[in-house]
Amino acid sequence: MIAALETAWHDASPAMQDALRLALLLVPALVTGAVTLRGQAPGPLVRALLLRFRWTNLLFAGLMALSVGLGVALIAQERAIREGSARAADPFDILVAAPGDEIGLMLSAVYLQPASAPLLGGDVLDRLQRDDRLTLIAPLAFGDSHAGAPVVGTTAAFLDRIGGPLAEGRVWETAHEAVIGARSPLALGDEIAPAHGAGFSADPQAHDGAHLTVVGRMAPTGGPWDRAVVAPVEFVWAVHGLADGHAPGADRLGPPFDADHFPGTPAFVISTRTLAGAYAARARHTDATSMAFFPGATLSRLHLLLGDLREAMSLMALAAQGLAAAGVLGGLVALTRLFARRFALLRALGAPRRFVLAVVWAYAATLMGAGAVLGLAVGAVGAEALAGLVSARTDLALSAGIGWAEAHLAAAVFSLTTVLALVPALAAYRRSPALDLRAG
Amino acid sequence: MTRPFAPARFAPARAAGAFVPDLLLENVEVLAPDGRPILRVARLEAPAGTALGIRGPSGAGKSTLLHVVAGLLPVASGRVMWGDADLAAMTEPALDAFRRARLGLIFQDFLLFEELSAQQNAAIAAAWAPARDRAAIRARAEALLDRFGAPGDRDVASMSGGERQRVSAARALACDPAAILADEPTASLDRENADRLAGDLLAMAREAGRTLIAVSHDPALIASMDRVVQVVDGEVRG
Repeated sequence: MIAALETAWHDASPAMQDALRLALLLVPALVTGAVTLRGQAPGPLVRALLLRFRWTNLLFAGLMALSVGLGVALIAQERAIREGSARAADPFDILVAAPGDEIGLMLSAVYLQPASAPLLGGDVLDRLQRDDRLTLIAPLAFGDSHAGAPVVGTTAAFLDRIGGPLAEGRVWETAHEAVIGARSPLALGDEIAPAHGAGFSADPQAHDGAHLTVVGRMAPTGGPWDRAVVAPVEFVWAVHGLADGHAPGADRLGPPFDADHFPGTPAFVISTRTLAGAYAARARHTDATSMAFFPGATLSRLHLLLGDLREAMSLMALAAQGLAAAGVLGGLVALTRLFARRFALLRALGAPRRFVLAVVWAYAATLMGAGAVLGLAVGAVGAEALAGLVSARTDLALSAGIGWAEAHLAAAVFSLTTVLALVPALAAYRRSPALDLRAG
Repeated sequence: MTRPFAPARFAPARAAGAFVPDLLLENVEVLAPDGRPILRVARLEAPAGTALGIRGPSGAGKSTLLHVVAGLLPVASGRVMWGDADLAAMTEPALDAFRRARLGLIFQDFLLFEELSAQQNAAIAAAWAPARDRAAIRARAEALLDRFGAPGDRDVASMSGGERQRVSAARALACDPAAILADEPTASLDRENADRLAGDLLAMAREAGRTLIAVSHDPALIASMDRVVQVVDGEVRG
């Protein structure tokens, strides 16, 4: 039986598994509700309680919604960052760089975070160009900027790989033409003078006289390259006073480059036809002079770290939810005491104790349920707002929608709190009607 | 004529002339939580259909007596017999069922749910009644509100004290109880409304042979009862 269930579970689609998880998480609430409400019709009295304490009820539901929303926003945001960063790294099959810091190099090449890196020389270029199993060899030259946007030198082939067909204009035909990212504020025809370096240390005079004319705009990539100015790598070398990677007199752009006149580059992006070929290339091009690595794998290690962080934050969010639930339930115990005489009257009229239990439980569960559902909405709004902030800082296109994980969290909170809603219900259940009737 | 109480035989719409039990309290003693006696009843009888008035100074134990008669307060000793049913020996669920089947209660301060309409308040017992009985309770509540002249569709929050107490009376009678227990039913009303309510209650009791037990300081109400007992310092006299 268990084996059959396990098999059925593994055979189910991920969506079906998620739906089943959601249903299972709701089971405690449904069972508690079915047992508590069986044979009772507490609706009008629950409505009376909701109306009587409407502002306090709104406050309690809002408190629950905020605590659930916090957890939902954290989960959604973490997933959005994970997916967004992975999407941005997609076009970078293998990075080849000088041996050292994989993460730093990945951040520089994929996410265009300014950092200095040792240059790879002509010997590495020569080895790569002689590897006929590679389908792409694109040097990346970064470190310059224009008005805060990175200026990156590469090849037209990599430009096509990262952005696909251009959204408008054309690819560069000379070393002084550039293509801009989809979200760049520049327009076609604009002329710019790149600064040396980036951020506060950028020196706009260092490349005095050098200029680029914008001739094309990339389609959106969902990453920091959407804000970049992408130029022929030969331009970047030239403005730094270096050789342009080709033999003197060779009036051309792009590969193949001449190893004897190769000025160096912090990284190459390379590609192979097959996954197996990629692993082989990584091994072939990792030695004392260069390291080849999969940015995706490096990113996964970062994601693991992010996952740990998420767990820590989720625990904090859970603690916040627990505190909010405890506060709300305590408040409900106090609130229902204000109704004690009316509950006593119900008992005097013949209502069984179970009916009072049903009324208070349904009232508390309604508030908790409303809090959980509102929490999903609050979480969705919060995640979108956070995504906007993170996008602005990282240029990653983040889509922080509500998914199964968030629905599971809300369902778990709802189930747990509906079971805990028995606390104020039992408090009302145990009261003596005679004492409460005399209390007035 | 006495018959044992059987909760399972409860029907909300009591047929005319159906069984109304006699009330008998014998050697009843009620203790406060600290063990101090707060009510002693050597013997108190109210044959079915009696209108019994209970009077006495404040704090003498009148409401305690009414709660004992309703099975809301446990007794330390003695018997509280409605027919052959001894409330003193019943479990709490049985007491709930007994009150559902036999008793209707009215209180001085109405204890209505202000967020509900008069009709919803009067038919509140439908909320815990078996599904098959709910429609009958609602219909009966509506008829009683009509009879008492209380508008069923209005929120009770907008009603006068007299209207509220009429809704409260309709609520007490919606399950067609064998006995009406009223705790100071006219105390919050002006003279005109008090007289009208007292008249309605007595009429409703006498028409169906119900027992009416009313705790009151209201001389007019007390004067209209068949019999009056006095509670003084926790002792029932008369």
